[in-house]
Amino acid sequence: MIAQRGRYALLAPSTGVFLLCFVAPLSYFLLLSFYRIVSYQIDTTITGENYIVVWRDYFRSLSFTFAIALAVALSVTALAFGFAFYVRFKAGRFGILLIFVALITLFGGYLTKIYVWKTILGQTGILNTTLMTLGVIDEPIGLFLYNPFAVIVTLGHYLMPLAVLPIYGSLRNIADTPLRGARDLGASRWRVFFDIILPQCRIGIVFSFALSFLFAAGDYVTPLLVGGPYTSMLGVIIQLQFGMRFNAPLGAAMAFTAIGICILVIGSFDLLLRRLLRVPT
Amino acid sequence: MAVNTDQQPLVRLRGVCKQFGGVAAVHPLDLTIDHGDFLAILGPSGCGKTTLLNIISGFLFPDAGSIEIDGLDVTRVPPERRATNMVFQSYGLFPHMTVEQNIAYGLRVADAPADECKRRVAEMVALVHLDGLERRNVTGLSGGQQQRVALARALIMRPKVLLLDEPLAALDLQLRKAMQVELRRIHRSIGGTFVFVTHDQGEAMALANRIAVMQGGRIVQQGTPREIYDAPRTRFVSTFIGDANLLRGQAHGGAVTLAAGPVFAQAGADGPVVAVVRPEQVQIGPPDAVAASPDQVLLAGTVQDVVYVGTYVRFQVAVDGSELIVHAGSGRAAPVIEVGAPVAIWWSLSDHLVLPEE
Repeated sequence: MIAQRGRYALLAPSTGVFLLCFVAPLSYFLLLSFYRIVSYQIDTTITGENYIVVWRDYFRSLSFTFAIALAVALSVTALAFGFAFYVRFKAGRFGILLIFVALITLFGGYLTKIYVWKTILGQTGILNTTLMTLGVIDEPIGLFLYNPFAVIVTLGHYLMPLAVLPIYGSLRNIADTPLRGARDLGASRWRVFFDIILPQCRIGIVFSFALSFLFAAGDYVTPLLVGGPYTSMLGVIIQLQFGMRFNAPLGAAMAFTAIGICILVIGSFDLLLRRLLRVPT
Repeated sequence: MAVNTDQQPLVRLRGVCKQFGGVAAVHPLDLTIDHGDFLAILGPSGCGKTTLLNIISGFLFPDAGSIEIDGLDVTRVPPERRATNMVFQSYGLFPHMTVEQNIAYGLRVADAPADECKRRVAEMVALVHLDGLERRNVTGLSGGQQQRVALARALIMRPKVLLLDEPLAALDLQLRKAMQVELRRIHRSIGGTFVFVTHDQGEAMALANRIAVMQGGRIVQQGTPREIYDAPRTRFVSTFIGDANLLRGQAHGGAVTLAAGPVFAQAGADGPVVAVVRPEQVQIGPPDAVAASPDQVLLAGTVQDVVYVGTYVRFQVAVDGSELIVHAGSGRAAPVIEVGAPVAIWWSLSDHLVLPEE
């Protein structure tokens, strides 16, 4: 009993912080999302109007945001898996060095990476100057920067090392003998991969996917700096509602719609993976 | 499955060898395994026995030589397409699967019909006594239970040869004894061919009907446990299998002079030799118990230590600088000799072996 109570006592501070700094404000904003702004004043009549507005007026940027986020999450997860797989199964003793290199790139920082890509893809950027020097093009191509592609590349570059870690962690927990065992029982290398390796690192894959998806869906700095005028990511619009537009209830409704979609997408991804790997749910 | 009744061996290794980084793990060797054999590959760690097992299973390809299984050359055939299955030392069970799923895996890969799968899994569960644990996750099982799953998972494939890599090394003594009995029962009841690797001579004696002793990448002797115990061909084999007393000597002109004194007639090449005698072949008694005779070796010594083991008494006797072990008597018939007492020890010439010094 004492041990039980002790365990809860240890949890208490973090639970307190969690309730105060996460659950409380989030509950407030959830409530707020059902209010309205009437002539710059909050009207506390409960209404679902904001959610209708989100789906009706902002459907384009909503779908655009999640399309970008999905593209980022899928490509980053796939690339990170390839990297982690190579490190775990092929690189031998150089594996740790590769992981270290991946971690070092995290030192670069988020904003730095954005400006790196601005420098590479810009009008007078490295890519354009190189192509011009080589004589492939006569004048700089403006198409590289300020488009969805630039957003995907920049976010992907930032998220890659973060996504490698969960997958590598779960791959490292896979023992070698079961893999030999499966081959001994007649499984081809491909079947060993599908039947033994993938199911055991499913959690890591879902974690990496969730991490990159959530970050990409919620980010509003990258689209502002490299996305250009057509890439109205939801994060930018939500930020506007709380700032210049003075429509916090609509902003809150957008945020909760986004949270709902995120949970749905990540849940479906996990379910799909379970189906694919025939793991009982 | 037709039973092959002709005299052809089931497995035939010819001139098989393997090097790792320029160091020979297995020197060119020949080995045959017959239908129904329970063969132990016995040797100290690093003797190449696991490499040899991996060559038979297909996880390693030999640098030279060939392997035939049931008349087919499988030298370059990978493990997934060989009629062998392996029980790994660390079991290698699939941690994300249940007992049932682990056992059924090989059949599932082979796309066996569901009803056949179910029937054969049930057969295996009954054979290895895992009833009631079918739906349990393997990670929650005890070592002995995991061992049984590993065994069932391999046996369900009806391998022509079942390979076991130190199958009992990870189990505690009690469980090891019980699993030895189990393995013999299973071998008898399915009538298969088992090959296992071990460094434990007791285990090899308890399980196998044939033992191949390996040393330094070579098979130094093969035979039944009895042949190997009674007639070890080298000094290494004599000390590795069971306890043995070794007495250095010189052979010259048809006679051997032991360093400890006695001289006896012995045909053979001249040079340094070693006489090997098992502790239970040596007799012990008071200094004047027997008279010297040409057909036995007689030594005088002092008792250093006496251990009453129960089934016998173990004497440690100092003879001219070296020490000999004597196992005497059984139970209450054991002679009563105190530590420090002068004794005579002797054995008949037919009870020792004279081997060239290595």
